[in-house]
Amino acid sequence: MMARLDVRLLEDGLDPAAAYAVFDRAEGSAGAVVSFTGVVRGESGAVDYLFLDWYPGMTEASLQEIAEAAAQRFDITALSVLHRCGKVMAGETIVFVAAASAHRRAAFEAADYAMDRLKSEAALWKREAGRDGEHWVEPRAADAKDLKRWT
Amino acid sequence: MIEVLFFGKMADVAGRRSLTIGVPDGGTLHVLRDRIFADALAQGQVTAQDIRMSVNKVVATSDRRIDDGDEVAFFSIFSGG
Repeated sequence: MMARLDVRLLEDGLDPAAAYAVFDRAEGSAGAVVSFTGVVRGESGAVDYLFLDWYPGMTEASLQEIAEAAAQRFDITALSVLHRCGKVMAGETIVFVAAASAHRRAAFEAADYAMDRLKSEAALWKREAGRDGEHWVEPRAADAKDLKRWT
Repeated sequence: MIEVLFFGKMADVAGRRSLTIGVPDGGTLHVLRDRIFADALAQGQVTAQDIRMSVNKVVATSDRRIDDGDEVAFFSIFSGG
């Protein structure tokens, strides 16, 4: 049976506690629920915010493809991928991923896999604004290395 | 006519978010890219390899043919989330 997927690109904020509560209410009987919350790092005051540029339609499709691939690859019952776009202040949640499965390993791995792919392959363009002005963020070598774990 | 959209660093380089333009002679993405980014390419502000592209929201290579009514986008490499 295909896992239940909830994939959304959010312009107006993302509350990880509320997202977890909704996911857990639906999937709490699964046996294992794993969640990950990514937060914009302030880098000790150097970063004020990120602006995530997005291409309506293409960006959502890239998130959906990653979620579907995770669901195909791991024995999970549900996966939630919620990602911010637009202006995200330092300290705010930028991404929330939750996976549910009968046994823990699949949920851990599905969340890990989804995050590694999101960090490199989500169709988003990140501009960092802070103490040193604004600049577009290039993909990091560490993200490419993380992605290779799954090939 | 085709609708051209710009995202990420390429929106800054092009100095705009969108443009409506006739299908250029030869009708491929690289002809359109070289026309729109002529100055930036000539000045070394970007290289042709820096400019990623799509047709109708699907990533495409520069030899992709474009037709009237297509939606084309030019953008920098995805940053990821």
